[in-house]
Amino acid sequence: MLVRKKVVIQNKEGLHVRPAALFVRLANKFDSDIAIRKGHQKVNGKSITGVLMLGCEKGSEVEIIANGPDAKKALQELTQFLRKGLSGLTKP
Amino acid sequence: MKIMDFLCDRAIVPSLQATDKKGVIEELIDLLIEARKIDPKDRGRMIKSLLDREALGSTGIGQGIGIPHGKLDKVRELVAAFGISQKGVHFDSLDGEPVHLFFLLVAPEDSTGPHLKALARISRLLKDKFFRNTLRKAKTAEEILAIIRREDQG
Repeated sequence: MLVRKKVVIQNKEGLHVRPAALFVRLANKFDSDIAIRKGHQKVNGKSITGVLMLGCEKGSEVEIIANGPDAKKALQELTQFLRKGLSGLTKP
Repeated sequence: MKIMDFLCDRAIVPSLQATDKKGVIEELIDLLIEARKIDPKDRGRMIKSLLDREALGSTGIGQGIGIPHGKLDKVRELVAAFGISQKGVHFDSLDGEPVHLFFLLVAPEDSTGPHLKALARISRLLKDKFFRNTLRKAKTAEEILAIIRREDQG
């Protein structure tokens, strides 16, 4: 199953190293392939260099794309992490 | 943004002497001090800030890459040092592997944008295995600069 959803990055510091690492760790828990797209750039959501390459600042809109057996659950948890899980990670 | 927009060409070392996390950070900061990018008076504060940041979660992002970073109120613009450890340094990396390539970034206190763009640029280059391996083999600061400059064109 392939599912996708758009999320706007809300935290002030953007998707810096620590949240990117946490995102990738979460993504790797799922069997599905995970991709993140920002504009024309699409990267592997399970690779931190990939996620950092996007340089997501506050206000960036990204699309999470999950494809595989647990895609729906992966999409739900990853989008929720981007919406809520970033608060408190103020230091870059 | 290009790497050479923020990488200080006088703060590049092909063979780091340090064998641990703190040592690598000190060695790279000392290069920035020698290059007059950082005031010697801020040395202790800067090193502490970088180590505090590492304590929150390693900046060893895997594949032999480390990008320690911190902020300093006195720097006016983003500045970076680069070093290679031939032996590799244990850095609590995400993939557990030793780190060979270090980009150390110091950003002004109030900035977030340039810092993210620099991380994005560094990640883009280092994602390329060929580029990583070529850098690892560089023997002099001049060679490192030439490799980075060439890649920066693309």
